[in-house]
Amino acid sequence: MSGIARGRLAEERKSWRKNHPHGFVAKPETATDGTVNLMVWQCTIPGKAGGYPTSGGTDWEGGYFPLTLHFSEDYPSKPPKCKFPQGFFHPNVYPSGTVCLSILNEDSGWRPAITVKQILVGIQDLLDSPNPADPAQTDGYQLFIQEPAEYKRRVKQQAKQYPPLV
Amino acid sequence: MDESTEDLEPLFDYSRVQPVGLINLEDEGDEQVLPEVVKGKRKPDLTPKVTPQGEKVVKEQKKVTHVIDDDDEWLRPPPPTKVFNHTQGLNGDKTLLELRSKKQELASLLQSAEDVIRAAEEAAKKELNSSKDAVLESEADKAAKPRVERKKVVISIQDKDGLKQFRVYKDDKLEKLFNMYAEKVKVNLAKLVFCFDGDKISPSATPAGLGLEDEDMIEVHIK
Repeated sequence: MSGIARGRLAEERKSWRKNHPHGFVAKPETATDGTVNLMVWQCTIPGKAGGYPTSGGTDWEGGYFPLTLHFSEDYPSKPPKCKFPQGFFHPNVYPSGTVCLSILNEDSGWRPAITVKQILVGIQDLLDSPNPADPAQTDGYQLFIQEPAEYKRRVKQQAKQYPPLV
Repeated sequence: MDESTEDLEPLFDYSRVQPVGLINLEDEGDEQVLPEVVKGKRKPDLTPKVTPQGEKVVKEQKKVTHVIDDDDEWLRPPPPTKVFNHTQGLNGDKTLLELRSKKQELASLLQSAEDVIRAAEEAAKKELNSSKDAVLESEADKAAKPRVERKKVVISIQDKDGLKQFRVYKDDKLEKLFNMYAEKVKVNLAKLVFCFDGDKISPSATPAGLGLEDEDMIEVHIK
């Protein structure tokens, strides 16, 4: 049991409760008996709204996408594994739902100082700005490259599948 | 008469003469004393084997000392230097001893000084901790006392414009806070949805019931 990981996660949670970007959710998993597991966080990432108030939102707007963060005992030396539901439609999301992003790569952009807030905002940015240089699924990647119209339709359809929880 | 006897005393003052023959006396004394000791040992020990060894040891020691004496006698030309050395050594020993004792004193002083410093540091730390504890306790007291009366909590409400903070009673229904907020932003309460951790907050919920702590943030969404 790493005290470092849990200590850091407790701090992350504390600061999150005090302030976080609007529409985002990030809370440690709570068992039915009320015990809290700091190592797994259930999060929600809202699809980015383009402008204010509704002018030219992104195709992801209106969707509230569930994301699970799995922290290891090596956190924050190693990044958490971030997973959307299985089969999530996005060029940089593996079929398993795992997000492929440089800041979440231990050997690439991850730094121990990156906060949960930064991870979630980073993934929100990724949703509307896929990285074609690093594809993780064929479906999303091929549509994004070859059929932009169909890609757009699929994204909007998926946003409707994840309506706001409230 | 007394005076005369006193005057006479010097005539019997062999003690002054004795020093001349001191070596002999000492030798004799040593010889006399040692056998006595051995004899004394013999009687109580009863075991003959040990005593001979003891005697042997004593004799050997004597021999050794004699040998050394002989050597000294043998090497009389050098002895002065030797003796000199000895005396110097002795003197040196004395000075050395003095130096050592001074060193020890200094070392002990150092240690005591270090101890004092450590003690001071520890005391300071303890004081800090205790003061921290005291602060915590006082905070806890502050937190605890109002609890008896009615504990308050600061809650932030986040909308798209930013954070607004409100101080409410922990056991008060949040309905009151929502009304306050709606009035402040001039939006119909029916159009507002308040959420904590992604869950909609019922107007009948209380901060205590939701486990809200100071400066916890709840989000407001406009339908």
